[in-house]
Amino acid sequence: MTPEQVRWCEERGLSVIVGTADAEHVPSCCRGAAVRSKDDFETLTVYVPVATGQEIVANVATTRRIAVSLSLPRDNTSIQMKGLTTGVRLAPAADEPFVKEYVYGFADILEALGLPRRLTRSMNHWPAFAIDMSVEEVYDQTPGPNAGAPLA
Amino acid sequence: MRLIEFSRCFQGVIPTIIASSDAHGMPNVTYVSQVYLIDDQHVALSCQFFNKTRRNLDANPFISAELLDPVTMQAYRLRLKFVRSEKRGPLFETMAMRIQAIASHTGMDGVFRLIAADVFEVLSATRVEGFLNDPGEAPAHEEVSVTGLRTELRGLQLVSERINRADDLETLLAAALDALDVYFGFHHTMVLLYDNDVQRLVTIACRGYGGGVGAEVAVGEGLIGTVASEQRVLRITGLEAGLRYGRAVRRSVMNRSGSVRPEIPLPGLPDAQSALVIPLLIEDRLIGVLAAESRDAMAFGEWDETYLAIIGNQIALGIDRALQDDPAEGAEPRPAPPPPPIPRPATVRRTLTYYRNDDCVFLDGEYLIRNVPGRILWKLLGAWKKDGRTAFTNRELRLDRTLGLPELKDNLESRLILLRHRLREKCPEIQIASTGRGRFALEIGADLDLVEK
Repeated sequence: MTPEQVRWCEERGLSVIVGTADAEHVPSCCRGAAVRSKDDFETLTVYVPVATGQEIVANVATTRRIAVSLSLPRDNTSIQMKGLTTGVRLAPAADEPFVKEYVYGFADILEALGLPRRLTRSMNHWPAFAIDMSVEEVYDQTPGPNAGAPLA
Repeated sequence: MRLIEFSRCFQGVIPTIIASSDAHGMPNVTYVSQVYLIDDQHVALSCQFFNKTRRNLDANPFISAELLDPVTMQAYRLRLKFVRSEKRGPLFETMAMRIQAIASHTGMDGVFRLIAADVFEVLSATRVEGFLNDPGEAPAHEEVSVTGLRTELRGLQLVSERINRADDLETLLAAALDALDVYFGFHHTMVLLYDNDVQRLVTIACRGYGGGVGAEVAVGEGLIGTVASEQRVLRITGLEAGLRYGRAVRRSVMNRSGSVRPEIPLPGLPDAQSALVIPLLIEDRLIGVLAAESRDAMAFGEWDETYLAIIGNQIALGIDRALQDDPAEGAEPRPAPPPPPIPRPATVRRTLTYYRNDDCVFLDGEYLIRNVPGRILWKLLGAWKKDGRTAFTNRELRLDRTLGLPELKDNLESRLILLRHRLREKCPEIQIASTGRGRFALEIGADLDLVEK
């Protein structure tokens, strides 16, 4: 990814969604709580609520394949990253402030779009699984004629 | 679970997540703006671009969707199996119209459009337990309260009575919009009449906007213009989300090709979250459009659509009757009783300028009105200046070929309403007052300079 794309992926208030498929290729999806990367998104960690992400975790344990889409609700700009799971763990308590801040940033963006902040904050985000993945493919997912075009 | 139990999720207020998988099991996850509820076993998704999800479906018919209730934020999951793509028929037309309206509004008509309505069988539907910290009450499906029903039935009766009683078009429209406000809670409404000559819709009455009469929309443009061209009801919830989607496509196209047609400003609320737009038809003849808007994303349900469609029919009949009803028809023009003089401050002096080449009338250098209403104003002012006349009839206007009124369906009444409104807003010293059916008087409360260029 370009430095500009990396900076965009680190923006506050992004919507995170996660897709996987089981061994029979039947897909599953859920909302992620947060995402972060220490190496410009060569790899990333996506946080998925334990309450809602059990199927996602079961699938990656079997297939390792995972897709994570980041989207800015304000303008629908979106990027999708696909790759392989390198590890799954229960997120440590030390990560909770980061995840909470991420969810609250998302709530602030939606508040500006007319969805009350309290509603978004009521979405369960902790405890969470931390899923580590290597990013193999990156796609533009902004609605329009370029949607699906590879970015890296 | 039955799909109707979480029907709010299908209104398109919050985008739905869908996951598909290719033949090798690599997932793809994305958003769709709306999942259409067909029946308890089937839903449909819109296919607007030949994207990855579409290609995956050709290899693997299973997808998973997560929908959110826009009131409670509770999530629901659907397991779906692709059945077929529909490229015509009622389902396709209904889904296409919303997309066409949003595309047209954002200047993207032809760029994004419905390619197909993809129909899926619902294999399972489940509430996502643990999605919310405090789930509270499970959302009940929308029901119509008896109190509401009684109020709305009463409202329907009243609208009918008022439309039947109205002496003229202006009274009819004011009464209808008043009843919609009081009995149905539609606080922002407008009626636009179709002008066949110029293929445009002109706002002839509105309520809740503080002005707006005279605003025009081209047939086929934006939400209202699309309803006029398609002659179908359009109910859009989550309008802002739809427009954001359209603008995202627009930016993408601009990045690629540089220029696109400008966005069409909404004629009503700039921050409307939902809209219900009804074509006013007599059989298949377009009379106009009735539009209601709200800042509440969930303001309009199926129930409102049904009622507004009934009222729309009555308004269309009333308008048609009013436009054809000319009590002075066949009678010789005769002067009406003189109206009471309006207060006239001695020092007011206004200059009206008529530009022949584009039929525009300007007031003290500012645009006032154009086309047929402009020519009518100029004729009335000319007669007043030359002969001191103040009393006129609809019939003499109809007989005056210089005004350019069409021989059939001349919409004279609506043009006079438009002229009255513009004068009230811009030039209170000149008024056109009704003096009986088919008759009116010109009231002048200033010294006027008339200039023709």
